[in-house]
Amino acid sequence: MAFNSVLYLGLLGVVAAVFWLLPARWRRGFALLSSVAFYASWGLAFVWLPLLVAGIVHIAGERITAESTGKKRWSRLGMAGVLALLIVFKYRGFIADNLHALGFSFGAHPHLMFAAIAFPIGISFYSFEAIAYLVDLRQGRVTMQRFADLCLFFYFWPNILSGPIVRARELMPQLSFQKRFEPRFVFEGMDRIVWGLVQKNVIANMLGIWVDRGFDANGPITLPTRDAWLLAIGFALQIYFDFSAYTNMAIGAARLLGVTLPENFRQPYHAATPPEFWARWHMTLSRWVRDYLFFPINAKHAGAPLPLYLSLLGVMALVGLWHGAGWGFLVWGALHGAYLVLYRAYESWKDAEGAAHEQRIAGWFWRILTLTAATAAWVPFRATSLGKAWTIWGSMFWRWSGRGSLGAGFCAFVAVVAGFCAIEPWLVRKLSDIEENAGTQGPSVFRVLVRPIAYSIGLLLFLLCDEHNTQFIYSQF
Amino acid sequence: MIPDSQTIRTAATEAASQLIGRPLRPGQRLVTSGLIDSLSVLKLIGLLEKKLRVVIPPETLQPEDFDDVDLIVETVERVAKPAA
Repeated sequence: MAFNSVLYLGLLGVVAAVFWLLPARWRRGFALLSSVAFYASWGLAFVWLPLLVAGIVHIAGERITAESTGKKRWSRLGMAGVLALLIVFKYRGFIADNLHALGFSFGAHPHLMFAAIAFPIGISFYSFEAIAYLVDLRQGRVTMQRFADLCLFFYFWPNILSGPIVRARELMPQLSFQKRFEPRFVFEGMDRIVWGLVQKNVIANMLGIWVDRGFDANGPITLPTRDAWLLAIGFALQIYFDFSAYTNMAIGAARLLGVTLPENFRQPYHAATPPEFWARWHMTLSRWVRDYLFFPINAKHAGAPLPLYLSLLGVMALVGLWHGAGWGFLVWGALHGAYLVLYRAYESWKDAEGAAHEQRIAGWFWRILTLTAATAAWVPFRATSLGKAWTIWGSMFWRWSGRGSLGAGFCAFVAVVAGFCAIEPWLVRKLSDIEENAGTQGPSVFRVLVRPIAYSIGLLLFLLCDEHNTQFIYSQF
Repeated sequence: MIPDSQTIRTAATEAASQLIGRPLRPGQRLVTSGLIDSLSVLKLIGLLEKKLRVVIPPETLQPEDFDDVDLIVETVERVAKPAA
């Protein structure tokens, strides 16, 4: 049951209403039941998997809490168990295919018996939450939770499919549902949900129609330069609005229950440098990678250059693979690793030169380079093969050719969406000023009149564009 | 010996101000506000070790343990060992 389906929206209203009508002591059980039902709506085959993850985490967690000397061992065992599930369910096809290919290239004919199995939705997200919980428990940042509470943490439906990747210490205290109902939960939740529906159906899906055609494996072998750039920009915008839409709807659904989930985006295409891009794009994944991979690795070497550059490349390649079992994702991640290495090397050079302040021209150079590099990196992420990605890059950078063939409609739509992205920070500031002036309590013109009109227009647009409805891109990861 | 809270607070304020290139405001967040990144946190640890003559073992730390001056004081008091 997708977030942008009419059935989900109807059920969400019913679940939120029943949740607040129930006595506080029953809300936790109701939230767990509705979360399991929601996950089961994506297929009964894997409904037990978050339960198994909760079981592994609970057993390891009990030992971490009970033992004084074996904490690290149990934490590692728990993490290995969770990672094993992730590898089996997400990567075994990819590993088998590549082992086959490797075997054939050496003249062998291996027969690896890996049956193709379906992909359990959300596994990448709740696996990372489980690993974070085990590390935090060992470091004394969280306390051991009851099994039922761990189950609710992993199954919690607003963020089980595609994040935001939450820490136990920020979500678990909220899952006791002790808050009293406040009308602002409805406004705040609806704001995010309706805007998410518009982002998904009106912007991302519309862009997707052209982008899918352009990246089609059976499409033209070479593209005119203008078309290649338009496709890359179109996909950069599509994936931003698609994932941001999903995140807004997840945050909104949780808000209806009085729960606050962390933000995932802060206008990423306004980033001035490659590290800033990662501080603005998929922020909860960046935070996870920083806390549990990058910082521990580099803390050991006190930030020395060689380990830093190697860890940037390695960690970002893993981030790419985390998105999906494919070479395109690996190349995307490694490219971002290379951008980060380049920027860190520049920073070291700048420090060595003693330049206290960045010159304006250098600032603009990095801003434009970051945007261009991030856009170019989306090509292998989206392309059906590395060969196709290479061809599109060729058209973008070194095989310039003639007039574009993509219609004026696509150009105009990309221009409008890019323009919206450009003014997004200003719009967010303006809306927040209006909200602040309206006050937090009682009726105001904004709350009584403007919001219902905006919701009606948003829902109408969502329904009008429902014809081209597709899955959220990140739900495949 | 580990320095007292006030000494750690002063050293933390000086080190953070040095990193961000301007005086640190009271209660100002460093990591969650995006003012400094995880690599700057490592530099901050280095500066604190030098100023306070302590060793701060980073194995069990996370960047947000250095998010503001209060947290830095708490973290240093919790994990720091006197330098050899």
